[in-house]
Amino acid sequence: MLIVDRMLLGGIKFVLGKIAAAVDAELNDDSRLREELLAAQMRLELGEITEEEFARFEAELLPRLREIRSRQGGDAAPRLESGEYKVVGVEATADFEQE
Amino acid sequence: MLRFYAGKGGAGKTTCAAAAALALARGGKRTLLVSTDPAHSLGDALGARLSASPRPLGGKLYAAQMDADRALSRWLGVRERSFRALAARGTYLDDEDIDSLFRLSLPGVDELVGLTELRRLSRGFDEVVVDTAPTGHTLRLLAMPATLARLAQVLDDLQAKHRALARSLRGSVRRDAEDALIDELQEEARSLHALLRSANAQFHWVMLPEELALQETLDGVSALRQSGLRVERLIANRLTPKADGPCSLCLARRAEEARVLQQARAIGLPIYGVPEQAREPRGFRDLSAVALALRAPQRSQRIRNSTPRRSTAPVADGDWLEDVAGAEVRLVFFGGKGGVGKTTAAATAAISIARRGDRVLLLSTDPAHSIGDVLDTAVGDQEREIEPRLWAREPDAARAFERRREKYRTAVEELFAALRGGSSFDAPYDRAVMEDLIELAPPGLDELFALLAVIEALQRYPVVVVDTAPTGHALRLLELVGKAREWVQVLLQIQLKYRRVTGLGELARDLTGTARELRELQQLLVDPRRSRFVAVTRAAALPREETARLLSALKRLRIATPALLVNAITPPGCSRCRRAAAAEEEELRRLRRIRRGCAMLGAPWIAPAPRGGEALARFGRTWTRME
Repeated sequence: MLIVDRMLLGGIKFVLGKIAAAVDAELNDDSRLREELLAAQMRLELGEITEEEFARFEAELLPRLREIRSRQGGDAAPRLESGEYKVVGVEATADFEQE
Repeated sequence: MLRFYAGKGGAGKTTCAAAAALALARGGKRTLLVSTDPAHSLGDALGARLSASPRPLGGKLYAAQMDADRALSRWLGVRERSFRALAARGTYLDDEDIDSLFRLSLPGVDELVGLTELRRLSRGFDEVVVDTAPTGHTLRLLAMPATLARLAQVLDDLQAKHRALARSLRGSVRRDAEDALIDELQEEARSLHALLRSANAQFHWVMLPEELALQETLDGVSALRQSGLRVERLIANRLTPKADGPCSLCLARRAEEARVLQQARAIGLPIYGVPEQAREPRGFRDLSAVALALRAPQRSQRIRNSTPRRSTAPVADGDWLEDVAGAEVRLVFFGGKGGVGKTTAAATAAISIARRGDRVLLLSTDPAHSIGDVLDTAVGDQEREIEPRLWAREPDAARAFERRREKYRTAVEELFAALRGGSSFDAPYDRAVMEDLIELAPPGLDELFALLAVIEALQRYPVVVVDTAPTGHALRLLELVGKAREWVQVLLQIQLKYRRVTGLGELARDLTGTARELRELQQLLVDPRRSRFVAVTRAAALPREETARLLSALKRLRIATPALLVNAITPPGCSRCRRAAAAEEEELRRLRRIRRGCAMLGAPWIAPAPRGGEALARFGRTWTRME
């Protein structure tokens, strides 16, 4: 049972870590936007979107990126500090395959 | 007994292998003659239609041309279920991902299944004579047991996780089909490794008595010996017979040949000499004459004291340059059968382009590089300026792979950590899989890094001249552009699919960049103004037949071929040279019929072959347009 316990605990810790990171990213991380841009470039190389669609997406994203960067430069960004948070609205399904 | 005939392209491996096999069969041995070069010319040399399975050619002689693609799909076919099971158990990929990976075609498969297929074909024969691919790729083929062993290790790591899980849940592990596959691969790797080093395998190194061949012979023989393979003899092919009159070309050739052979003696192998035949050996009667020469080694030749006179050739103007590299050109490939003079021609063109005023990089994509030998200066992985505006580079695929491996080690580690979902349970197994996977040099490595070197060069040089590997592997390289793009696209799809879990890191960024570069290269290759392929050939039957296949393959790939360069045309001198010139005249007529609208350029036979910038520039002035 030890193994199953470790898998469960590890899994929960992982999920919580991801949530904290997502909250942080939403607020003041430009890496998420950059990742969106990269994902769009990937879709362009895969032929899933056209050059025009990519250009539109890029035009939409770049001002937001600049905005975040200027906010970071001004040091006025809200930060996620250590302390207690309550996370609501999370649904998780665990499915451990048994042989 | 397995007898490998190895050597530089065009040295006459096929002819010598065929002659040796013929002699063995006539001596009463059931003999198989088999070619492992993806650009087969065995059928041409025997004047017979060959297939992937041994065909009787009369008496005790059988011959086959290996079809690596078919061999691989047959080999994979019976094992696919186990491979899929291993991939599903050991990775986080789902069936859909595994499907798309399995649908991709693998570059460089000739080397991967070559030895296994060779052993399968050999069953029931007393003697097997192997006509191999040119040096670089044959060395890869011989290293394949080690690659197979590493592949088995990766699969074993994948399986280890499954075993540990089964043990902890069930308390015991049952051996299954996947374990059997891993064992089979390990055993295959072990036995092939042993077979190549047993008393039942030997190598015969075939070389032309030329300066350029000497270095490759020294390197190749020592590479074989270092990996514990037995090299039995050197065969010096196409020695110039004594002239029957005063002939400056024949005299210069004989003096040069004697000098080269004297140096080759340092290798410490018996040297067998095969005189140049009155006509290119084709069919059994011609091959018998070669077999006769292969019966006894040559006695040491005395070198005549007469200084070799440089044979001279008429000087022409350089109007061929427009055919080879017009004003808008960015990428010029030189390719053809081994030994026709691709490197000399590529270097000559690069020098002419540089002296015209364009900055140009001469890049070798043949794993057995010889740009440095032709330029008569050291060239390596670092680009080097040879003369104003002319740069040269011989990329080192193994080192490039090493660099990339280091770069991705961290990225891949992070990816695995994320995919593991925070559970520490899998860690040791995943780490082992990942580390062994990164160690596994993929087949087709040379072509892949050659391709990346071309892309990199185009970003920094207005003109890139590529000296390609002999035909079969040059075509692989060009086909790889599309195949590599498919691979990268599948990897991009997988990354996009799991991005919510793993995020998109440096790997995704690099892969996206590579996908774009491959797309741009694909567009460049089919633009006849910016990209072209110059087919180099000789006025002889085997090169001509290979040229015909090359031109039609290039047409299929939609790559422009504005010029066909016929190299080493014999100027009329003594009666032997005049006979050779007459035979070439006949071949030139045939070449005109297959040239598909290319301009035909001619270059004379020069002895000794031009080396160094000035000699090459002079050589370039002797090229003429032949209409």
